[in-house]
Amino acid sequence: MSTFLQQLFNALALGGVYALVALGLTLVYGVMRVPNFAHGGLYMLGAYLSYAVLTGLGWGYVPALIISAIGVALLAAFMERVIFYPMRNAPHVHPMIAAIGVLFFLEAAVQLVWGPDFKQITEPVPGIVNVGGVIITWQRLLVIGASVVVMLGLNYFLKRTMTGATIEAMSQNREGARLVGVNTNRVGMMTFAISGALAAAAATLIAPIISVSPSMGEVMNLKVFAIIILGGMGSVPGAIVGAFLLALAEVFGGYYISLDFSDVIGFAMLVLVLALKPQGLFKRGT
Amino acid sequence: MKQISGNSSRQQRISLKLASLAVALLGASALADKVVNIGYSGPLSGGAAFYGKDVQSGLDMAINEMNKAGGVTVKGEKVTFKLVALDDRYLPNETATNVKRLTSQGIDIIFVPHAGGILTVQPLTNRDPEFLLVAYSSEPKILESKNPLTFMLPPRYDNYLQPFVSTQMKAFGKKLGMVGTTSAYGKQWAEAITGEWTKQGGTVGTNNGVDYATTVDYSSAVTKALAEKPDVLFIGGPSQPTALVVKAAREQGFKGGFIVMDQAKFEQMDTIVPRAYLDGSVGVLPTKEFAGTQVFVAQYQRAYKKIPTSEAALNYMGMNVVAKAMELAGTTDDAQAIRAQLNAAAKALPQSKTVYKMLGVSAGGHADAEFIIASVKGGKYTKLRVNTVFK
Amino acid sequence: MLGNAGTKSAGAGRFKLGTWGWVAVFVLAALVPLFGPSGYLLDIGVNIMIYAMLAYGMNVLLGYTGQLPLAHAGFFGIGAYTVGILTLKAGWSFWLAWPAAVALCAVLGLLLGLVAFRTKGDAFSIFTLGVGVIIMLVINKWDALTGGNEGLNGINPPAGLEVLSKGVGLKLSAGFYYLALIALILTVLAVARARGSVFGRSLIAIRGGEDLARSAGIDVFTHKLRAMMLSTAIAGFAGGVYAVYVGFLGSASAGPAMTFTVLLYLLAGGLGTLAGPLIGPALLYTLTQSLKGLQDYQYIVFGPLLVLLIMFAPQGLAGLWMKAQARRELAAVTGKKGAERA
Repeated sequence: MSTFLQQLFNALALGGVYALVALGLTLVYGVMRVPNFAHGGLYMLGAYLSYAVLTGLGWGYVPALIISAIGVALLAAFMERVIFYPMRNAPHVHPMIAAIGVLFFLEAAVQLVWGPDFKQITEPVPGIVNVGGVIITWQRLLVIGASVVVMLGLNYFLKRTMTGATIEAMSQNREGARLVGVNTNRVGMMTFAISGALAAAAATLIAPIISVSPSMGEVMNLKVFAIIILGGMGSVPGAIVGAFLLALAEVFGGYYISLDFSDVIGFAMLVLVLALKPQGLFKRGT
Repeated sequence: MKQISGNSSRQQRISLKLASLAVALLGASALADKVVNIGYSGPLSGGAAFYGKDVQSGLDMAINEMNKAGGVTVKGEKVTFKLVALDDRYLPNETATNVKRLTSQGIDIIFVPHAGGILTVQPLTNRDPEFLLVAYSSEPKILESKNPLTFMLPPRYDNYLQPFVSTQMKAFGKKLGMVGTTSAYGKQWAEAITGEWTKQGGTVGTNNGVDYATTVDYSSAVTKALAEKPDVLFIGGPSQPTALVVKAAREQGFKGGFIVMDQAKFEQMDTIVPRAYLDGSVGVLPTKEFAGTQVFVAQYQRAYKKIPTSEAALNYMGMNVVAKAMELAGTTDDAQAIRAQLNAAAKALPQSKTVYKMLGVSAGGHADAEFIIASVKGGKYTKLRVNTVFK
Repeated sequence: MLGNAGTKSAGAGRFKLGTWGWVAVFVLAALVPLFGPSGYLLDIGVNIMIYAMLAYGMNVLLGYTGQLPLAHAGFFGIGAYTVGILTLKAGWSFWLAWPAAVALCAVLGLLLGLVAFRTKGDAFSIFTLGVGVIIMLVINKWDALTGGNEGLNGINPPAGLEVLSKGVGLKLSAGFYYLALIALILTVLAVARARGSVFGRSLIAIRGGEDLARSAGIDVFTHKLRAMMLSTAIAGFAGGVYAVYVGFLGSASAGPAMTFTVLLYLLAGGLGTLAGPLIGPALLYTLTQSLKGLQDYQYIVFGPLLVLLIMFAPQGLAGLWMKAQARRELAAVTGKKGAERA
């Protein structure tokens, strides 16, 4: 039983990170219809910026997280202005290719600046808590707590603020939003910035548990794409549910079936769901 | 490509003439330098870039040192070296393309640091043009093919098995858990260690190997392995992920020992986890703890600002052995002749140039270096005796 | 929709070098090994031709039918591994294993299509991406059959190829070059024929709009399935050449990175054209080779180049050429008019 609870806890922490990364991707897709393959690159860059602030400036973990989130948000907004906004009317495959170009560039640039070696970010709160045989590290608690807070914050932003409502309106109906006078021009930039900040926050949260390397975004990229398709592209609740589903499937599939299987399971699930429900779990208006 | 090298040697001859003219005029002893290109094809971008760059650092350092000392003397001619490094992103077909590119430029020595690439280009070594393939990989198939132009650098890992297993079984108990990486090399290791552990009378749990390169969080694999209550865990892959596996295991309350596959290096792991977590591990003795390696370690740290791994050290050794073999063979482009002198070259070099104590190069083209293994106790490394030395 | 990419370059379908142009290109290509080029040059040639075949396969679905398949490299891998496994483990001759691999890929393509075409647009692309990842992972994990992470080593050159090339005084590498060239010519012929037939025109109609195509009496689903089979069969065909040429197979060659590389090449060449899938790999492969000299900077240059290319020349190089030609024609016409007026 305690092993089961331990695995459940492992899955929750993993799911929290998946959710943060996937949310940004799904928002961008919802608003801009861009399958942003550079998202994994932004996530990776977020981890490096935090690393730089922590080791270079010697500042604390929280300032590092905030600076990195702002830095990546600015870069994402810049990317939207320079690359994706001009291509807004092109077929989707074009911005997708451009995003891959950006990913190549980001990986190479990070490797050039920080080198190809693994970097490590130390935990802000080291140590463990033992709850009835279940070992909980403070960092994983932090990951779960922070991702819940961020998700609630995002929800508040989308539902209660004017800008957030605009983003949501646009992701639901682009033409309609324009007709009722939403400034679609600014919304895209905002959405990109938010997605960048979310990716950077997720990377900084999980970085102490994993290693930071230039290619860390590639692994994440495929997983979060599976998640947002699973949940229905552009759907916010879909991304969250998809993230936790994937994490649970990976952890428990690995535990009860075979660890070899845990890499395959996310994609197997995706293919199965799409074969049965071609629109994803959470259908949304296009 | 023969034309290119012909051209350059004609230029060499001209410059040699000019130089001897200068010598005659000035009475100085300046000789024109001949520059020999050394090829290298490895992963320099993508997920394995850290590995490819480590290998390259060892080659670069050996070449820089020799060049700074004025080069080596081959047939009375001063020879300096230049490394031509090409990225293959760990993909064998790109290694093949790179090798063809390098041989087209008249390069006769090529270093490749991964099994897939090595096995792909091995059949090319004795096709026209010939080249010496310096293989940095422990894959046994590389030697099995009996290729006459292969020089294999890393020592065989089967020497480690017996002492690793007996030490840990004595210290902790008879149940082994498996959380190694699932790379080709990791799987071979897992298989070999399973065999040795059962041979010595222990029991082995389910194999919970995970791909260290694509797994985001190791804790669930560790939880699964620990559910079987093992006394010792077999772990290992690149150092950093391995350290994180150690961390996850210790945090989840594992008190037993670790058998650490040789790919992971203690000296890199203890920059990530407290040394205390590594207590009760057996693995390869850190390069800096080897007798006679202080100079190498100090110089490497000065140049690259990090701890040298055995990747860097063994390729540094390999490059020095090749250069010495050129000296002995009196040629820089006859791969067969250079290969024939490798054994003598390995024996002739001082340990400062080979880092590890070299016993020679076997007839099959395998570097025979004494590798030392160690266990960690109380933050100190204790050397372990290796009983069977592969010859 | 991702899949709509084709519509933008609909006009590109008209781009033709002309039959004689193609003959000239292939005759020139066939002459290359006779001038005794370096092994490296021949190797680049073979690689370009393999990538070109892959791009032709992808073009059938993306360029003509307007569906972006991201499992393409998976089928390349299946073709390559089928040849590798049948020749190494079952002792088949390459000349039998190769068609078997093509047939297998076509059948698997049919099965994939039956499920995948339930989804549309982006969902189709990502669905197939998932399938592509699964194919790669299965190859990577199925040690007993594929060698897993260790890969499949020692695939021999096709029976008779070495004897044949030595017989006419050429090296084995030149023999491989001709093998790839013949395979490429067959591919181009097959694609050109399909494109020119009623089937091809139906595909273009589907690209323009499925509802419209349906109302014109085209069985959209069946046509998409056939396009998928042709596309995967070509991928497997290319995989067979790759397997014997490289002699070693690793699972990475079947992965999404490979699919995206082919997609880049195809886009750079020009979607929906007959020349694009050849021009793209020829130029971009040569470009990446020459960028290798930049070492750590290769992707720092390549990434932005890609972005610029897609932003400013989205129709690919074939598209650019066509545009320039159209402008020349226009200039010629207006010039003539101007002359008349004068």
